[in-house]
Amino acid sequence: MLRALFEWVDVMPSSISLRESLNGYVYLLTAHVVSMGLVAGIIGYWDMRLAGMALKWVPVSKVKSGLFPWMYAGVAVNAFTGFLMLYSQPMRYYPNFWFWLKMGLLVVVAANAAYFHLSIEKTVDEWEHDPVAPFKARLAGYVSLVFWVGVITTGRMTAYSGLVPQWWIDLGLG
Amino acid sequence: MSLQPFFEWMGGLRFSAFFLESVWPTPIVQCIHLVSVAVFVGALLLVDLRLLGQGLKETPLPQVARAAEPWLFGSFVVLVVTGIPQMSSTALKQYYSPFFWWKMEMLLLGVILTVTIRRKMASTEESQLGPVWPKVVALTSIALWTSVTIGARLIGLLS
Repeated sequence: MLRALFEWVDVMPSSISLRESLNGYVYLLTAHVVSMGLVAGIIGYWDMRLAGMALKWVPVSKVKSGLFPWMYAGVAVNAFTGFLMLYSQPMRYYPNFWFWLKMGLLVVVAANAAYFHLSIEKTVDEWEHDPVAPFKARLAGYVSLVFWVGVITTGRMTAYSGLVPQWWIDLGLG
Repeated sequence: MSLQPFFEWMGGLRFSAFFLESVWPTPIVQCIHLVSVAVFVGALLLVDLRLLGQGLKETPLPQVARAAEPWLFGSFVVLVVTGIPQMSSTALKQYYSPFFWWKMEMLLLGVILTVTIRRKMASTEESQLGPVWPKVVALTSIALWTSVTIGARLIGLLS
């Protein structure tokens, strides 16, 4: 079913024209990398604050209110350019091991952020001035750091669609 | 003086051949390079946003700068170390790429700005800085380092 969706997009005139434009991919990937720095750079500092690795003396809510608007701006550009690259070359990404691994890791970072938001962040007023946050918050920070490294790494690896496990090739998706 | 002989020498090193002939070292180095880009940009923006009167605006500027500095310099060292094999293993491609030279020029200007004016400014009492110069320095810093990133990406895409 997923394959049918990707194949359907693949023959859309708008997908084809973006795919065949001379510099479309160049602009998209370059903007994707620049906005990635904004997103991952800021999230990295947020995670390090939670993990107790940096900005220990800055209240947690100040880190969030000061930096998150910029991070969200980066997310908008990053998601938009990422979506357009996928939209313009669906059948390049469909059989790509690293692409799917990256999507899976993005689900993990989103779930981790949502869990943090709905659990320990509810009591942030009580601990936001502590240089070392409660264990649950530190754990959320470490998990996010590790999985964001995974997101960036697997994103870079999508260029190496042949460097994948044999069992993936045996699936015969390409 | 042409730098071409230097690039030819670099491309001929056993070190370069190792990266060209083996499968995993180049992508691994590229991944570490890209993760370091994120760390570097984060550390850079912490201070540049603060100079613009944004970001961690309630935290004193020197304190923000001190928090960012080890990560800024640490990630820069990793960027250089992981950049060297990528440059040397494709030395002549780099030499003939206008984007490589663009990146290096912007990099040089970025480093000079960061270790001179920007560094001095970040450790100065804010009331002495006035409203204009911190913003000029921050925007110049963001423009230069964005140019470095764009140039870097275009070496791979258009050279």
